[in-house]
Amino acid sequence: MLDFSLTPEQESLQDLARKFARTEMAPRAAACDKEGRFPEEIYRKAWELGLMNLNVPSEYGGSGLSVLDQCLIVEELAYACGGMTTSIIANCLALEPILLGATPEQKRRWLAPFCAEYHLASFCLTEPGGGSDAAGLQTRATRDGDDYVLRGEKCFITNGPHASLFTVFATTDPSLRAKGIVAFVVPGDAPGIVRGKDEDKMGHRASSTGTIRFEDVRVPAAQRLGGEGEGFSIAMRTLDQTRTPIGALATGIAQAALDHAARYSLERKSFGKPISEHQAIQIKLANMAQMVSAARLLTWKAAWTIDRGERGTLDSSIAKCVASDSALRVADDAIQIFGGYGYMKEYPVEKLLRDAKLTQIYEGANEIQRIVTARELLRRYA
Amino acid sequence: MEIFVLLKPVPEGESRLRVSADGRRLDLDGVKFVLAGYDESAVEQALLLKESAPGSTVRAVSFGPARCEEILRAAIALGCDAATWVEGPSEAAEDPMVVARALATAIAPGGASLILAGKQAGDDEEGLVPAAVAERLGVPSFGHVLDLRAGPDGASLRFARATEAGTERWECPLPCVIGLQQAWNDPRTAKLPNILKSRKAAIAKVAWTETAAALGAESRPTNRPEAFALPPPRAGAKMIEFKTPDDAAEQLVRALREEAKVFP
Ligand SMILES: Cc1cc2nc3c(=O)[nH]c(=O)nc-3n(C[C@H](O)[C@H](O)[C@H](O)COP(=O)(O)OP(=O)(O)OC[C@H]3O[C@@H](n4cnc5c(N)ncnc54)[C@H](O)[C@@H]3O)c2cc1C
Repeated sequence: MLDFSLTPEQESLQDLARKFARTEMAPRAAACDKEGRFPEEIYRKAWELGLMNLNVPSEYGGSGLSVLDQCLIVEELAYACGGMTTSIIANCLALEPILLGATPEQKRRWLAPFCAEYHLASFCLTEPGGGSDAAGLQTRATRDGDDYVLRGEKCFITNGPHASLFTVFATTDPSLRAKGIVAFVVPGDAPGIVRGKDEDKMGHRASSTGTIRFEDVRVPAAQRLGGEGEGFSIAMRTLDQTRTPIGALATGIAQAALDHAARYSLERKSFGKPISEHQAIQIKLANMAQMVSAARLLTWKAAWTIDRGERGTLDSSIAKCVASDSALRVADDAIQIFGGYGYMKEYPVEKLLRDAKLTQIYEGANEIQRIVTARELLRRYA
Repeated sequence: MEIFVLLKPVPEGESRLRVSADGRRLDLDGVKFVLAGYDESAVEQALLLKESAPGSTVRAVSFGPARCEEILRAAIALGCDAATWVEGPSEAAEDPMVVARALATAIAPGGASLILAGKQAGDDEEGLVPAAVAERLGVPSFGHVLDLRAGPDGASLRFARATEAGTERWECPLPCVIGLQQAWNDPRTAKLPNILKSRKAAIAKVAWTETAAALGAESRPTNRPEAFALPPPRAGAKMIEFKTPDDAAEQLVRALREEAKVFP
């Protein structure tokens, strides 16, 4: 029963995302990249169309899509602009801990009003002292009566400068490592939250990334997700859900690079013929097409696994890693095919390389994905 | 108001079109059909009228083979309340008169107060169906319409018509058939939750056997396409190599005058 055809419903979701990407995002992508502008009007429109809280069940006001359906949409969006896509899907990342760890009462309280209007949320795990070693995080959660007091700093937080809700991971005792971590929901206007400046980034410049300092932020225990010590598992299971759409994001960037390069190769002439007739260029294009296909199929496979109710750690690590490595190489090859023009900001392909690079780093750097892959793999032989 | 919108599935703009093996028509196998162009404006207009006159309903209607389903669902996703698929074979869908008769037969019992359509279809742009439906139903018909509003008494309609000479303003009693201009009203985009809901919506179906029985001999297409040819491939573009903008302009003017003979 293996079947790669999309249902009419999936095609219509893809059509919606494609139309939005090409008419709203693409025309502004270059300017937002150049100016490092955060195009809130586009994010608002994405929310209006239901393209924002894709993973939140419809009973809480989200779109309630399967991971595969999310991937179809994310690939289309990323085809137009990786950075805008990162900001559009950051809500999925930030809200997933609530979906996984909250009580029904907490879900009603935090998700429904949030999704009913345009709001941004941020996922606060990474700290200046380290991202990959999440169990080593240092932000402290100190119990004080019915409250916790949060103190510490998070960095590289997508949409952090604009978010009205945070999911925050902190520790009651750093020496407990993973076992000491607790997850919280924190409203953006809680006293003691200090937002740092918008970082000046290599790529994804339409997205906004910043530091969030928690200076004795008082959080009622009712805003804790799960029990003390469950935070690490919530964070890891969140990333198991959201890593696959990053594979789709990388695939969208790679597909855009391949399309630009293939079209250009038919137009550009050297030695009296289109460069597409030189075998060296054909081989490059063939390799690019192979990488794009592999990225997409591994992403779909991981999504399919998760949608069947499996945790999908192995499949999603492989998909995210292969898709992001592919995106970087395909974007690199696209620049090569464009020659000198590819190096110029006036042409669209150098942005793709800068945008692709991030997909190897965030939501678990690829080194970590390989560690996870090897661990899951070896477990099957032990 | 009971508003009916007549919609035709047309090939997606980016489709790669081929001629069929018999050389008479386009080969529509594997082509994706969409709700597009004038028809999008018609749906938008229907929804605007509905929003301005609470209690109104909008029913999308399409005649033809199974490909109608996708555009009817698209219309529901945009906000139409109901949809009817008037089933018909592809050959019948090629003859605008059969299309109009079948649509009129399906619409007649519905008590339509207004029938909207694109002023012409987005693919063949013939523009015959709205007027022929009106003729069949014995009601007035206007094409090239924009800026449409319900009249003050609720029993008429006010609108403008764009003509070569200028803009006409009209008032017309209901029911009537209106063919709309394209894109003047900035058609909305369907929202994701409505797309999901539209997948589950029921679509009423009028079977072709029923329509054919009602129409008798009139159900048979009288037009038969003879031959179909795609436009000849365009000759390659000519790139002008230049040193200064003045030089580029001079060469361009020379090429337009002497080679393309665009002006003497
Ligand atoms: C634009 C952007 C947006 C981001 N958005 C968010 C967000 O919304 N929320 C959030 O919480 N975080 C976010 N991040 C943070 C991101 O997830 C981290 O940068 C990432 O997890 C890596 O952590 P680090 O930067 O601290 O690198 P480090 O952990 O210091 O790693 C440095 C290098 O060492 C490698 N390395 C580390 N440990 C090992 C090991 N055991 N074996 C081999 N190699 C290793 C890493 O792979 C990397 O190459 C974002 C980052 C960026 C750049």
